[in-house]
Amino acid sequence: MEESRADGRNPNQLRPFSCTRNPLDRAHGSARWAQGDTIVLAAVYGPKPGTRKGENPEKASIEVVWKPMTGQIGKQEKEYEMTLKRTLQSICLLTVHPNTTTSVILQVVGNDGSLLPCAINACCAALVFAGIPLKHLAVAIGCGVLEDGEVILDTNKAEEQQLKSFAHLVFPNSRKSASSKEPNQKEEDSERGLITSITHGVMSEEDYFSCIERGLAASSRISHFMRTTLQKQAPGDV
Amino acid sequence: MDHHQRWHPTVNEREFIERALQSDLRVDGRRPFDFRRLKILFGREDGSAEVQLGDTRVMGYATAQLVQPYKDRPNEGTLAIFTEFSPMADPAFEPGRPGESAIELGRVVDRGLRESRAVDMESLCVVAGKHVWSVRVDLHILDNGGELNVPDAMVLSLRNLIDAANIAALAALSTFRRPECTVGGEDGQQVTVHDPEVRDPLPLTIHHLPIAVTFAYFGEGNIMVIDPTYKEEAVMGGRMTATINSNGDVCSIQKAGGEGVMSSVIMQCLRIASVKAADITSKIKNEVNSYTSAKALQKVKRLPASALKKDNAPDVAMKESSDGALETQSTKPSSDGQQINKEPPSVVEDNKQEDVEPMLSECNPEAQSETRLTAGGSDETQEAISPKSLKDAVKPKHKIKKKQHSKS
Repeated sequence: MEESRADGRNPNQLRPFSCTRNPLDRAHGSARWAQGDTIVLAAVYGPKPGTRKGENPEKASIEVVWKPMTGQIGKQEKEYEMTLKRTLQSICLLTVHPNTTTSVILQVVGNDGSLLPCAINACCAALVFAGIPLKHLAVAIGCGVLEDGEVILDTNKAEEQQLKSFAHLVFPNSRKSASSKEPNQKEEDSERGLITSITHGVMSEEDYFSCIERGLAASSRISHFMRTTLQKQAPGDV
Repeated sequence: MDHHQRWHPTVNEREFIERALQSDLRVDGRRPFDFRRLKILFGREDGSAEVQLGDTRVMGYATAQLVQPYKDRPNEGTLAIFTEFSPMADPAFEPGRPGESAIELGRVVDRGLRESRAVDMESLCVVAGKHVWSVRVDLHILDNGGELNVPDAMVLSLRNLIDAANIAALAALSTFRRPECTVGGEDGQQVTVHDPEVRDPLPLTIHHLPIAVTFAYFGEGNIMVIDPTYKEEAVMGGRMTATINSNGDVCSIQKAGGEGVMSSVIMQCLRIASVKAADITSKIKNEVNSYTSAKALQKVKRLPASALKKDNAPDVAMKESSDGALETQSTKPSSDGQQINKEPPSVVEDNKQEDVEPMLSECNPEAQSETRLTAGGSDETQEAISPKSLKDAVKPKHKIKKKQHSKS
């Protein structure tokens, strides 16, 4: 039961996470987010004046640039850019800085599966470090469905080869109420909707709901991690 | 490089910097022939390295694939260096359109490394005229030095990226390992690429490490410093990059315009550069050694896991074209009838689980909280991408276009 996965994790176990605040000097905000051997570096510039043609000037616009480790950007990367853009648009307060553009640049440093969730988490942390006003955090998790219908979380590259299908899910961060010491976990979680869901491959409805359920549960752990890292590193900042 | 907007020093600033240099003082407190602090970090994967030189940060990543060699050099592999200024380093860089300075940077690193034959190309040959390894180094400029008092887009210059990019390329190449392959079959043309789990991948043969050292000239060309900062670059009269190895062989010299410099001064520069090159070479070698020994230790730990896999991971075999299986080819099929039949290493799950009760994990108590989300919450951004097979979706695309090789 315990060692059900090749790297010794159990199905619900995530890889070790780490987040570095502002590793880059020049960017307004940057974050290096690592989930095991998957590492993504995100940099945020902005908000700078003006929007691109075709964007709504009454709102802030977000542009996302994805840099793969090697080679040119392909269709897959374009799709990542689009997904990221829409996800970030939904968590940013776009009306605070109308007619501005915020650039988010992602550099893949290591790819060992669950790349898109890692990138979303990195972006979210970088946006916080850059001081971009957000409604809430976005917490992403990669869920994979094996042939026998088992759901595993935070898949690595070797596991992704064997998956029947997978879903990348993005949730808002879990809320932390200041008033009550013991928040009702169930009630709290049920209020959190799904922001983004990208699925690949065939999965049954049951599998999908099972992914959401596990993902949501795991996301509260990630959001706790994100919150503590963001808080812990805040005082030392200029 | 001067077509960009740059920081323009006032007359006073200019005089201050030049005066200080006359008494061997630099604005950032270094001595004239000091490099900025150099830090080399390696990624978990072989062939990836991150170099920090002062506040400049460059990531190098080396990859290789089997290709057909060039007609004029049938028994040599190829090495290509790709540099692109990422908007991560400076928001004014546009992705996909390399600027003038990006091209200069790429060319200087390329000339220093490839044309000095630092990497042994003949050892990259598998079957003469048919299969050679093509090594590709991608250099990503991550951080271009941040001076907080200077507004954006004012300091867009090479900012001595050459030295850092060169070291990043060397560090990436030194740790790069290519999969071992053997030639067999009836006609001796069949190439078998071994899985890295089965046979240890091989390092490249690197004859020497050419180190780029950039000099800036001031005054009438008689004052010089190495590794100039952007403030010094704004004031300097000329710049020269010498790529030199620890034996003192000059691999390339780049001096694009600027003030004329006496040949005696250049000779002096080269002497200084060879000392610096020896320093940096030993630094790179030390870092690479400690990385490889750490990696070797890891391997010992990992052995039981890899031994399990060993039986199930078939070697990737290249066969003569008969079965015409084309589905999963990453290498371009060669025109003369050789095709590559790649079987993805199918790893059998060793420990099949009967008990599929996933919520019983002790390590993560939070995951036990069961909450069902209504389907209504998911409909707005759900995407359906099905036609591609899952494997295609997961696999990152390392597509190397052939055209790019031919230009270099």
